[in-house]
Amino acid sequence: MMNMNKILIKLNQVSKVFKVGEENFTALHDVSLEIDSGAFMSFVGPSGSGKTTLLNLIGGLDVPTTGNIYFKEEGLSSMSREQMARYRRENIGFIFQTYNLLPVYSVFENVLFPLLLNGEKEKDVRDRVMDIVTKVGLESQVKKRPSQLSGGQCQRVAIARALVKDPLLILADEPTANLDSKNSLQILELMRELNQQYQAAVVFSTHDEKVTRYVRREVKLEDGKVISDNNNLNGDS
Amino acid sequence: MNWDIASKNFYRQGMRAFLNVLVTALSIISLIFMLSLLNGFQAQATRNLVTTDVGGGHYRAPGFDILSPTEWEDHTLRTPESLLKLPDGDKAEVLVQQGQLYPNRRLYPVQIRGVSMDQSLLTLPLDNLKNFNAQVGDAIPAVVGVKMARKAHLKKDDLITLKWRDKSGAVDARDIQIVDVGDMINPRIDDGVVWLRLDHLQSMTDRQGEVSWVAVRDYTGPVAGFEFLSIESLMADLLALLRQDRVNSKILWSILMILVCTSVFNTQILNIFKRQKEIGTLMALGMDSKRIVRIFTLEGALAAIWALVVAGLLGIPFFIWFQSIGFDVSHLSEASFPIRETIYPDYQPKEIFYSLVIVFILIIVAAWLPVKKITRLDPTLALRGRAIT
Repeated sequence: MMNMNKILIKLNQVSKVFKVGEENFTALHDVSLEIDSGAFMSFVGPSGSGKTTLLNLIGGLDVPTTGNIYFKEEGLSSMSREQMARYRRENIGFIFQTYNLLPVYSVFENVLFPLLLNGEKEKDVRDRVMDIVTKVGLESQVKKRPSQLSGGQCQRVAIARALVKDPLLILADEPTANLDSKNSLQILELMRELNQQYQAAVVFSTHDEKVTRYVRREVKLEDGKVISDNNNLNGDS
Repeated sequence: MNWDIASKNFYRQGMRAFLNVLVTALSIISLIFMLSLLNGFQAQATRNLVTTDVGGGHYRAPGFDILSPTEWEDHTLRTPESLLKLPDGDKAEVLVQQGQLYPNRRLYPVQIRGVSMDQSLLTLPLDNLKNFNAQVGDAIPAVVGVKMARKAHLKKDDLITLKWRDKSGAVDARDIQIVDVGDMINPRIDDGVVWLRLDHLQSMTDRQGEVSWVAVRDYTGPVAGFEFLSIESLMADLLALLRQDRVNSKILWSILMILVCTSVFNTQILNIFKRQKEIGTLMALGMDSKRIVRIFTLEGALAAIWALVVAGLLGIPFFIWFQSIGFDVSHLSEASFPIRETIYPDYQPKEIFYSLVIVFILIIVAAWLPVKKITRLDPTLALRGRAIT
């Protein structure tokens, strides 16, 4: 019996095969690992090592070809599309390399959006949205649209949007790839603070070595396989 | 909430949304305009035939057939007393005989049509014939239409030989003088027709008091020796043509409708293509695909509503303006439609209403169909903007 009290995500011999033309491409090969609640960790590896595929599978954006993924005690494989959408809506916060903000919405509306999807009324959550926008340092930009913001500011909006619904897990796919060093460090620092404050598990996929200095655990991938899993990298820092 | 999201998405697209709406609105305007023009064309064709030839029906000598010229002489009768008593505005006596004209010494078979000068039931450009008295002079005054004049190379004041056969079968010939080239709005009474005073034609053919038919405003009951032909039977060929034209207009309507729907369909496809990253983001945020479909369809519905509004704002002034200038179709005198003038659109509120309802429904369907693709999108590909290529 696995200990599900602390384990948030469990992957059991997960493989993912993509069909590319007539060829089959194995993006993930028999990956088994566990992610604890409140984790602050990264999947590291070169391009094509399977980091993003792994995040997509954990986030319920894709389904494994073989193997099982469990969120707490519930298997994702048995979920319908609607149940999967609900799983993402209620439990997962995504942060993307290209921010993926809704272009016609303001900063406030982008952050508010996940709450509206969860059935909240704007008037009830206005303060909560403003609070998180302030935490990511964008209170003065609240009415601006993504096109009026810098890359670093857009990524802060994406972080606020991921955090606002108090998810159990935040999946950040190359969140610093489009940012300069200064902004990257600020974003990583911010995410570490928020991880400690909100207790949401944060999983990065990255090949940015700066991330290694912040995470507590680093899973290295190569050719779709886990080649190392280092815990307690940065202590409690 | 879906409506809020859809309206925000729609209104904040700015110029893109406006252009989509404008294209759809222009298509709707074209649709209504073409239909109304066709209605106007058909209404005027019918009206022209009634006011220049048919009236409210014909009391005809039995057996008379306008398509059998060799038998015209065999089917004439004296105008009955009961019809003679009708006011001039309610009847028009007409005698039709076969004849040959010799323009440039070439034979030109014609229909000689004599019409009473007192009548005011039919609108015919024969005023110049009224200046002559009932006595036939050296040259017989005649009027021809513009088309006839062009074909036979005739002009006003020309003298030209006309040959005909009188009641006893004797062939007679005299010069006629073209006293006017009249603008006949109905090509059917223009091409190949020479117009004379009824009393002159009766005198020339020795058929005093005889007619081929009497056009009347209204049916006055049975008349001994005559048969009554209703408007419907007299215009059967035109009505058949119009029926065919209605079929053609429906085809035209369908083509325009397909254009409208294709424009909306195309817009939605482009929308989905351009916004697939946004769709992927919505999926990642946990919005289920059915809801995304509803939102995009609502955006399509909003575009349809605005297209109708813009069509009204742009179309109504245009329709009013066009109603005042009309559309010149004089070239149609060569065609079989009895029309040779400016036509005006005939806006049928019921038809426009039904068209708009159908357009609206089709726009929604056209907006919804491509959006259905969203339900099949792979979220990971959509997030990278590669779900549809």
